Amino acid sequence: MLSKYQNENCIAVYNLRKQYSKDNTYAVDGITFDVKYGTVFGFLGPNGAGKTTTLKILTTLLTPSSGSICIFGKDLVKNQSEIKKQMGVVSQNPSFEANLTVERALDLYGMLWGLRDKKMRKHKVNEILNVFDLESIRNVKNDDLSIGQRRRVQVAREFMHEMDLLFLDEPTVGLDPSARRLLLDYIKLHVKSGLTVFFTTHIMEEAEYLCDEIAIIHKGKIIAFDTPTGLKQKYGRGAKTIELTFKDMLDDSFINLLNTTISKKNIKDDGSNIQNSPVDVKGTHTIRARVNNTEEIISEILQLVYKNGLQIESIDINPPSLEEVFLSVVSTGMN
Amino acid sequence: MILDNILLLVYRNVVAAIDKIFLIWQVAFPLVYIFVAGYSYSALIGHQGVKLGALSITYTSFLTAGMIGFNVMNGSTVAGNIIWNDKRNGMFQQLLVMPFSKVQYIIGNLITIILIGLANAALIIVIGLPILAKDVNITLWSIPYTICALVVGSIFFGSFSIILSTRIRSSEGYNVISNGLFLFFAFLSSAFYPAEGLPAPLSAAFYINPLTYIVDISRAGIFSQINRLINIELIIISFLAIAVFFIATRSMIQMKV
Repeated sequence: MLSKYQNENCIAVYNLRKQYSKDNTYAVDGITFDVKYGTVFGFLGPNGAGKTTTLKILTTLLTPSSGSICIFGKDLVKNQSEIKKQMGVVSQNPSFEANLTVERALDLYGMLWGLRDKKMRKHKVNEILNVFDLESIRNVKNDDLSIGQRRRVQVAREFMHEMDLLFLDEPTVGLDPSARRLLLDYIKLHVKSGLTVFFTTHIMEEAEYLCDEIAIIHKGKIIAFDTPTGLKQKYGRGAKTIELTFKDMLDDSFINLLNTTISKKNIKDDGSNIQNSPVDVKGTHTIRARVNNTEEIISEILQLVYKNGLQIESIDINPPSLEEVFLSVVSTGMN
Repeated sequence: MILDNILLLVYRNVVAAIDKIFLIWQVAFPLVYIFVAGYSYSALIGHQGVKLGALSITYTSFLTAGMIGFNVMNGSTVAGNIIWNDKRNGMFQQLLVMPFSKVQYIIGNLITIILIGLANAALIIVIGLPILAKDVNITLWSIPYTICALVVGSIFFGSFSIILSTRIRSSEGYNVISNGLFLFFAFLSSAFYPAEGLPAPLSAAFYINPLTYIVDISRAGIFSQINRLINIELIIISFLAIAVFFIATRSMIQMKV
């Protein structure tokens, strides 16, 4: 059975399973999700969670054991070659034509994707070299590039052809911050003009920056699915991170006092403490703690500060980051 | 569309996947055999020549024609090497997520080595013409046999290389095993010496070697010595090539990506 929304979604996955051996363990265990057209879908999970297996199934490298996948409203297993023509894939592993220069490799890639007109190909190659800042290495052989440069070429190459759906498997690994930002912004630009992106990463800031919806997979099952904001609201449970910077240098006895005070007030729904030592000391003047009873805890801290004759320079109160939500979701395996 | 894809893969193999130095060596290697071994052994054999059907030809002519078939086998390692390089550089996986299938990929590789085999054969014939000139007797009826031997030989040994490259897990292992096997094929074939007159066990070994059939057929085409045995050899090697091609395709489909 396919998802009832299959025609509205670029990807509709229903009860997908993949079993490598016959020992009843599933690398992907009955996952169901939809990806809307023109959005970026983040697929996150720890190592070995089933991300790559799912991606390999969606990109036709593996066949599913059971379940159904619809891409562009068509069954993936039955319409592989037709669907592949509208897809681009940047794999996690490097791939390159070792003997060719960057320019020649881009040109060949365009040719393989059916860009037959030489002039058009040349124009496209120049555009890609320019956008991805590859001009300086256009005549360098792929074999002689650094890992980061090779990665940049690999990602850039995928934009040599027109596509409606792009799979990006940790595309920014090995890229420097400016190249990373350049890529993310370029993807955003294409998403605005209708491209759908399936994105996996271990860098939560990237997921937060780029993704419209995020699914977290763990042990083959999707354990959380929402927008980045929704995930934070749902799984952050009102928890916030407070950061206090003092004018004075902090000593161990004061930090112990803070730990005891925050621990007492930092109570979970079931009545247990969140952490025994919630205070994280940064340098000599700053502490950081994740709390779920913010107002009361701040008030207690202020009283402690007053009693100990200390002065506060600044207080920052932040909602939990996506990374904290991810760690929390994965560690508890909550559904 | 399927043909388009296969031709694109052939184009890609020629442009990107084949080492140009290897191609030069492909032609140079048999020439070394022809001009060094050919003339050296001729001195040992004397002027009696080698019997080929109704003809008696010089050993250098015999070896030059044999090298054409031998080179087909040698060149077929390209098919395995392309797969190894593509696996190592991640291009195998990348091509499969593009609009290409594993079967198209394998056919593309085989067409590539057929083209290499035919081009090499043409070069060897042109360069070896001064040697062959005295004995060569190519006719419209005989030349298709040589071409057929080269095509069928490329499919057989190319598929064989593909099977090895999909089954052996390290590139070093692949190189050692393919070189070892191909050396065995080369020296237990009629590429270097005629099978007639050999001790019976050795002669039998020659005729269970597919390279013997390929060399015999291509040589028969060059010297217009087509007979019943050549036709039987052509039928046998064609069936073998089809069988090995199917095994190679199956191995490729089953190969984990």
